[in-house]
Amino acid sequence: MRRIGIWMAVGGLLLSTAACGGGTAGTAGGGAPAAQTLSVGFVAEPANLDFTSTEGVAIPQALLVNVYEGLVKLDQNGQIVPLLAEKWDVSDDRTSYTFTLRKNVTFSSGAPFTADDVVFSLDRVKTDWKLKIKSQLDVIDTVEKKDDSTVVVTLKRPSNGFLYSMATRLGAMFSRTGVSDLANKPIGTGPYVLGSWRRGDSIQLQPNPAYWGTKPSLSSVTLKYFKDATAMNNALLTGGIDAISSVQAPESLQQFADPNRFQTVEGTTNGEVVLSMNNGRPPFDDKKVRQAVRHAIDHKALLDTAWAGRGQLIGSMVPPTDPWYEDRTGDYPYDPAKAKELLGGKTYDVKMRIPNLPYAVNSAQVVKSQLAQVGINAEIEPLEFPARWLDVVFTQGDYDMSIINHVEPRDMGIFADKSYYFRYDNPEFGELLAAADEGTEQEQTESLKQAAKLLSDDAAADFLFLFPNLVVAKKGVTGLPKNAIAEQFDFTALAKQ
Amino acid sequence: MRGRMNAGLLVGGVLVGIVVLAALVSFFWTPHDPTLVDAARKLREPGGGYLLGADKFGRDTFSQLMVGARTTLYVGIVAVGIAAVIGTPLGMAAGMTPRGWLSELIMRVNDLVFAFPALLLAVMLGAVYGAGTLTAMIAIGVATVPAFARVARAATLQVMVTDYVLAARAAGRRRPAIAFRHVLPNIGSVLIVQASVSFAIAILAEAALSFLGFGTRPPTPSWGRMLQESQELLFSTPRLALWPGLAIALAVLGFNLLGDGLRDFLDPKLRRIRAEG
Repeated sequence: MRRIGIWMAVGGLLLSTAACGGGTAGTAGGGAPAAQTLSVGFVAEPANLDFTSTEGVAIPQALLVNVYEGLVKLDQNGQIVPLLAEKWDVSDDRTSYTFTLRKNVTFSSGAPFTADDVVFSLDRVKTDWKLKIKSQLDVIDTVEKKDDSTVVVTLKRPSNGFLYSMATRLGAMFSRTGVSDLANKPIGTGPYVLGSWRRGDSIQLQPNPAYWGTKPSLSSVTLKYFKDATAMNNALLTGGIDAISSVQAPESLQQFADPNRFQTVEGTTNGEVVLSMNNGRPPFDDKKVRQAVRHAIDHKALLDTAWAGRGQLIGSMVPPTDPWYEDRTGDYPYDPAKAKELLGGKTYDVKMRIPNLPYAVNSAQVVKSQLAQVGINAEIEPLEFPARWLDVVFTQGDYDMSIINHVEPRDMGIFADKSYYFRYDNPEFGELLAAADEGTEQEQTESLKQAAKLLSDDAAADFLFLFPNLVVAKKGVTGLPKNAIAEQFDFTALAKQ
Repeated sequence: MRGRMNAGLLVGGVLVGIVVLAALVSFFWTPHDPTLVDAARKLREPGGGYLLGADKFGRDTFSQLMVGARTTLYVGIVAVGIAAVIGTPLGMAAGMTPRGWLSELIMRVNDLVFAFPALLLAVMLGAVYGAGTLTAMIAIGVATVPAFARVARAATLQVMVTDYVLAARAAGRRRPAIAFRHVLPNIGSVLIVQASVSFAIAILAEAALSFLGFGTRPPTPSWGRMLQESQELLFSTPRLALWPGLAIALAVLGFNLLGDGLRDFLDPKLRRIRAEG
């Protein structure tokens, strides 16, 4: 269950810094009522357009749902909803999923979308994909075509994670005749097709004239890539772009306070900013010391100073968009006296090795100041991210404390792996997780609630805050995604008045 | 015989004096704890015991500037120290054997290091050994070595053809003795000027590195990091960028003026002209 994707995920947040801006003049696609263009800027550009072989979220962020579609998709509230499947039926033993496909769907190459493509796409994950996350679909036993518009997927065992995985890039549908040059020519069934790609600058998407669903009202969407958050802010201020999808410097939001010019949309992400403590070595192998840390931190003050009060306090490893979310912020209220009592008058010197990213460096300074009040002296050591932090902290586990945004969706399971850098080792937690994946949906929710509570009680880590999704756009831009809880930045509803 | 004080020397001396004073006082006293985070004081306006206000963490800006002066001087002294201790003997050795292979070797390696930007070296060292004040100081110091070596060599060449050195050589004095007895004292003034100028460059480099996140570790106050942290507040609270920016500018100006002033002050030719004029 070891997942090595944090850094990509973190990178992803950076990536999702999107800005819609003064669009490149695109050729008016079919069905667009007016020649409206919009450009969305991001912080990091994809190296290529093939998300089956290249890690990182930059590619699915641009292409998933927009160019490629799956049988199902994750909506803004974290619900799995139909997309290319009209409906699906689950057998009583929950090992067999029958998907009924939408008819009259074609790929942008003109080829029709049929059950054969579903079988091809899902088999291809096993045979051709090169990503670590492809193991999530190992639970699939067989994929069979029943007729042209019916596919039966049989699982080796019941799994609640399966359908969720199908909503990610793993479930993207490819054409049997359209995978020869994925890195440059994406062919999917989505509302947009790739227009042009100016490397180092922007990717332009144009409406797919043969789209089966509601056609986009824009004549083109441009994803513009910025190396620097300040440069992107300035581009929005000067009208170079129409929106910023994820603001990386929350204090700078004041620049966009004028409601006659700009709008700010604040939503949630899957990113838990975790204050990790090395459970495997002193002093944090002692539960009391970890609990003291949780009591010593004033989370509200931390969020207000480190991230301009944007985001949400969580208290455990579950974002509010997951069905098993419970407010656990009351488990360890801010209480320095209690913390001192737990420490028994002892003082500690610890190393806080953090990635050199803004949220981490900001939070670390607050944590250090607050821990000093109870007798824990944390020395902050920013490490170059990703390479050095991954090597020292994540791989070698050579740290006492760290701060990182764990952005992968539904990633509480990382605590079940005792070789994971938390070095958290409680068999009861692993049992709860296993029960959750194989149980019914209701059992899953119950087990995961208990698991989240256990993490919090054990003080396996401290959970500083949930990273916010901050979208700023010009007034008049509509259909902006509020929450960033899926891999994609969804352009399908985007419009401009 | 004393040279006359010039305006540059005076202004430079005063500016540097203020920085040194602030740094020294900060060891014993600052108005507030410069690293204490307090959400209640977030972005507090100047006044009421907070002379220059507080930053987004509620930390007192004035206290941070004082301790930042300490960081700045610390980096400057160590970096220039490294450069002087390594660069001067190398330059002297090259200057005393102008046609030898040693001189060639030293100066060519010197050219190589000179071609390498100090910031790049510091970022590389930071990536490999971890960012911190120490790596920053070493990188800036090493990158400043060539400047010292060149200046020392040029000055040594001049000294080596003076009558007293020729006399010492004719008397059979050994080279190390000549170096310490005759050369070093006579190139000292040039080196002091170079140190002063290098100090200004080191201050800028430290600020730049801290701005990039490769310098002084948080939460130790540093002018460069203060600038970086104020970046996102540039439009709403410009004073947070103004003060550290001003501090850097004035400190650099101070050391440059001091260097210029010292050169005029210590240059025997200029001194003679003044005395005659």
